Amino acid sequence: MPTYKLIYFNARGYGELARLLFAVAGVPYEDIRVERASWPNEYKAICPFGQMPLLEVDGKILAQSSAIARYLAMEFGMAGKDNWEQARIDMVVDSFGDILQDMRVPYLETDPEKKVQGADGFPGWGWRSGSDHRITLQEALVKQFVGESLPKRLGYLENILKENGGGQGFIVGDSLTWADLGVANSVDYLKLMCPNPFENFPLLAGLVQRVREIPQVAAWIAKRPETAT
Amino acid sequence: MPNYQLVYFNGRGRAELCRLIFHTAGVPFEDIRLDHTKGEWPGEWKAKCPFGQLPILVVDGKVLAQSRAAARYLAREFNLAGKTSWDQARADMFIDEFDDIGTEVVKFAFEKDEAKKAELSAKFYADTLPRHLGYLENLLKENNGGDGYFVGDSLTWAGLGIANVYDLLGGTDAPFAKFPLLLALAKRVRENPKVAEYLKTRAQTSF
Repeated sequence: MPTYKLIYFNARGYGELARLLFAVAGVPYEDIRVERASWPNEYKAICPFGQMPLLEVDGKILAQSSAIARYLAMEFGMAGKDNWEQARIDMVVDSFGDILQDMRVPYLETDPEKKVQGADGFPGWGWRSGSDHRITLQEALVKQFVGESLPKRLGYLENILKENGGGQGFIVGDSLTWADLGVANSVDYLKLMCPNPFENFPLLAGLVQRVREIPQVAAWIAKRPETAT
Repeated sequence: MPNYQLVYFNGRGRAELCRLIFHTAGVPFEDIRLDHTKGEWPGEWKAKCPFGQLPILVVDGKVLAQSRAAARYLAREFNLAGKTSWDQARADMFIDEFDDIGTEVVKFAFEKDEAKKAELSAKFYADTLPRHLGYLENLLKENNGGDGYFVGDSLTWAGLGIANVYDLLGGTDAPFAKFPLLLALAKRVRENPKVAEYLKTRAQTSF
């Protein structure tokens, strides 16, 4: 068994998909969490692109969150049964990257009048979070994300799920893959923008429920540190 | 041999990496370029797109969206993804970094306010880009001194990716002036016989 270390902020953010994979696979790893105030620290020099998350496998280093998650998924047999399924999974996961880009729009408002106030920052996401962050963002931009861009993208994902045997199983193929974990994980950051992101997408909501009820997932969610992001 | 169609606009953009992979592998494909001014987009294609966007890759009638997913699929099919699972993950890492660079370019490329565009572009070339290229130069150097490839000892889609970034940045050596290993690799890849032949004949486009 290789020795695994995951190095990231004390947050879910771009590290959580890897943590979910370790949890479902039941593979031990060192879950190194860096407090924002102490970044940059000694890890920065070994980060290939100066950023976390970082995966260390027997001392060898990998950066970029989706490369990390894909590598672990492949190692743990959660990446699809052939190249085509692997690609369809990649497609689903990449679409959440697009959702995150849309989600950044309200936070990247550069007009100082509308600039975000907040408690703790979230480096790498380019925005600040705080308990009342939604109030301080430009309301119109939040509405646009929640009312337009998000439902549009979730609609496509709902279709993809439906086309996979009716949508009561997994989003790709016939067993759990990291695409399903990605869908379930997205709820935690989408909730920063709206309380019930999958409200109008019953198949996606059903998938999230099923994933969160997997014993290893439920156990991890119960024990993981509570963080704002 | 499966039937391949790559559907995009008439430009390099988010489809060029797939095109480079096809050409390097010597695999024929239908290089469909839609002209939105003639109604070809959205046309009949949009409904076929899983996320309503291009590019899409169609393999024997089955559709794949998301440019990196499509390119990785092809790279794996044609043995250009890396020889081991670790090498493949490292190649993925480089590809994601190139995508980050592309995202930065897009931020000013479509800016309509000329003054703001100039400001963003200046900041990108003075600041953001050298930082990214610096990391890439170091990583290349760490692979046996840097006169080979990013990953392992043979060309992968990561190498094609940096050649694509070369074009994205205007197709001149200038942005790479301080990054000699990276520049040498980009040129080495562009001089690969199959790549060179493609570059000679491909359509000249504005993006």
